[in-house]
Amino acid sequence: MRDPRYDALAALVLDHSLRLEPGKAVRIDADTVAAPLVLALHREAIKRGLHAYAALELSGLKEILVAEGSDEQLEFVSPIALREMDALDASITIWSETNTRSFSRADTQRRQRQLAAERQVAMRRRDRIAHGEHRWCGTLCPTEAHAQDAAMSLGQYEDFFFRACHVHDEDPVRHWARVGEALHARAAELESVRELRIVGEDTDLTVAVEDRTWRAAHGRQNMPDGEVYTSPVETSVNGTIRFGMPAVFNGGEIDDPRLRFEDGRVVASEAASGGDYLTSLLELDEGASVAGEIAFGLNYEIDRFTRNILLDEKIGGTIHLALGTGFENLGGLNRSALHLDLICDLREQGEVYADGELVWQNGHFLADPQPARPVEHVR
Amino acid sequence: MSDSRLVKFADVLVGFCTEVREGDLVTLESSPRAAPLVRELYRSVLEAGGYPLPRISLEGTDESLLTLGSDEQLDWVNPTRVDDIETVDVRIAVAAPGNTRRLSNVDPSRQARRDRAAEPIRNRYLERAAAGELRWVLTAYPTEATAQDAEMSLAEWEDFVYGAGFLDDQDPVVRWREFGERVEAVADYLATKQELRIVADGTDLRLSTEGRTWISSKGRENFPDGEVFTGPVETSVEGEIRFSYPAIFNGREVEDVRLRFEEGVVVEATATRGQQFLREMIAMDDGAKGVGEFAFGLNDAITTFTRDTLYDEKIGGTVHLALGTAYPETGSLNRSALHWDMVCDLRSGSEVYADGELVYRDGRFLNGVG
Repeated sequence: MRDPRYDALAALVLDHSLRLEPGKAVRIDADTVAAPLVLALHREAIKRGLHAYAALELSGLKEILVAEGSDEQLEFVSPIALREMDALDASITIWSETNTRSFSRADTQRRQRQLAAERQVAMRRRDRIAHGEHRWCGTLCPTEAHAQDAAMSLGQYEDFFFRACHVHDEDPVRHWARVGEALHARAAELESVRELRIVGEDTDLTVAVEDRTWRAAHGRQNMPDGEVYTSPVETSVNGTIRFGMPAVFNGGEIDDPRLRFEDGRVVASEAASGGDYLTSLLELDEGASVAGEIAFGLNYEIDRFTRNILLDEKIGGTIHLALGTGFENLGGLNRSALHLDLICDLREQGEVYADGELVWQNGHFLADPQPARPVEHVR
Repeated sequence: MSDSRLVKFADVLVGFCTEVREGDLVTLESSPRAAPLVRELYRSVLEAGGYPLPRISLEGTDESLLTLGSDEQLDWVNPTRVDDIETVDVRIAVAAPGNTRRLSNVDPSRQARRDRAAEPIRNRYLERAAAGELRWVLTAYPTEATAQDAEMSLAEWEDFVYGAGFLDDQDPVVRWREFGERVEAVADYLATKQELRIVADGTDLRLSTEGRTWISSKGRENFPDGEVFTGPVETSVEGEIRFSYPAIFNGREVEDVRLRFEEGVVVEATATRGQQFLREMIAMDDGAKGVGEFAFGLNDAITTFTRDTLYDEKIGGTVHLALGTAYPETGSLNRSALHWDMVCDLRSGSEVYADGELVYRDGRFLNGVG
């Protein structure tokens, strides 16, 4: 029995996120466990006149490479993969894992080298996106592994995920278009702000955002989506912040991280667990201890932490701050191999001041525009 | 549960069939059902110093394209698949269908259009293979679908498949080398002949192999293997042939195929079931009416019909004839988007004459050949 929600998600990704002319070439990247969504996307893409095909990963292969490959094999970048990226008009990444911890015991350094080789192709894609030559959207296919990370059954997780995508709506494309309007208005409003101050439990942080561009994320490059974000002024971050939610990065987990910033740089860090891992990430390079992103999560259908950054960073009522590389196109200057998103839950207790004025309390902006509110609001 | 035969299977494919060497780019083409074998292949290619490039596809995408695609979409050739064929040193393809009849209800003319679009890729890889630039092997991983076609349980089918590949042997490669000598002896013998005549129930067919090369197929490009084949002189095929086994193509079964040839082309094609499909395939293009391959099956570990050409065409004591495109290394010039192998059991009541002399009777070469 085919689950119609896969078809609806596929249609949404094609009609709202990618919006391709017939005759364009699109590749669907996924693990084989995502077969139901891959087939739905392929079918819907064919219906829209696209040249569509899938490039599938089989779980367990990279684990063999990292465990047993020679230096040359570990660092190998296929010339075919690079040329393939140049030939594609668009691609869809379906994050879908059968085991999110399969690299937990792998040699960290060897895994990093394998990931660095993989990044060569990802960077080619990023450059083509930046030049308007390639469209991309990242989404997810619910699997047992993702449900397990979220402490849900697969059925509950599917319901949760598809709700966050609004594929149950009568017209999901219309929903996301409205989210776009609301988030653009919010981003425009934030452009006039010089400094944000975030106050919460064990948190009092000031961040300058003057002359930086805010971006509305409304389902073009991620599905689900729902955030506004920018890169803060690098030297401006001061104070302390407690994140409350665990940070998950490359399968490693840091519980309840806390950071103290002075003049833009992390000067002290601690965590309930995973503190050593956090320290090692902060020491990765010069830019790793500097904030590259500050954002408001505004998808209120995402109401819980699920150990998946695609969803977690959009939890309605949170802010997130990323250590490491910033967004050049938004004015960000920080560069690093790291981009570690840390999520601060402001739903219970939290305030945000914009140039001294209270604008956000307990997980909501106080005044319109009210973006990405629940379904009944937009209907 | 890991099957130790899988490790041997992978090592034979990588070490013997395609002789993967350090630095080789190796595509591994398969589907998720063959995951256990693909993982062993990936490991084996790494051990050999090669670079495995998995190409995993889902069955189901072909159905969407064939049922929903426009002509432009059916004609589209993925440039990256062309790049693969132009670039890689080795290609290992593992069939592992979940349903061999999934395309039964696809419009054959749309299927033929898609096959025609894929023809340049096929020709190019055969060309690179013939030039020694690309080594390849086609094999199959046992699945419930192919077990069902063979009318066996999956466990029985696995035993059959691994048995046909000599994978129960301590050292399968030694067995394959010995077997290869026998296959070569048959090819050497046939190379001395110019005209073959096959006589059996409903069959009296003559064809010339003069100036053509007999290729020993002994575990390089197909696995399991065991046949000698050539491409007959294009205009030489004359007479009738009746195929004792159903002819299977793209998941469709055509029963009791009878073909009549004049000057190398089919002039009459009948079947008790699937006749229209047979005729549509033959009408695909000019080369589809001609014979691209004639071969003797020599693998005595394959004794029963399985509805999978990979095995059926190697059944010891059979011959097969393929309509459509030829293997360039045989010297044949026939080209087509079609290559349809049809198998004829000669194990009882049949004879083959070479240059007028009886050389083969009831599935066996006479005079100690092979």
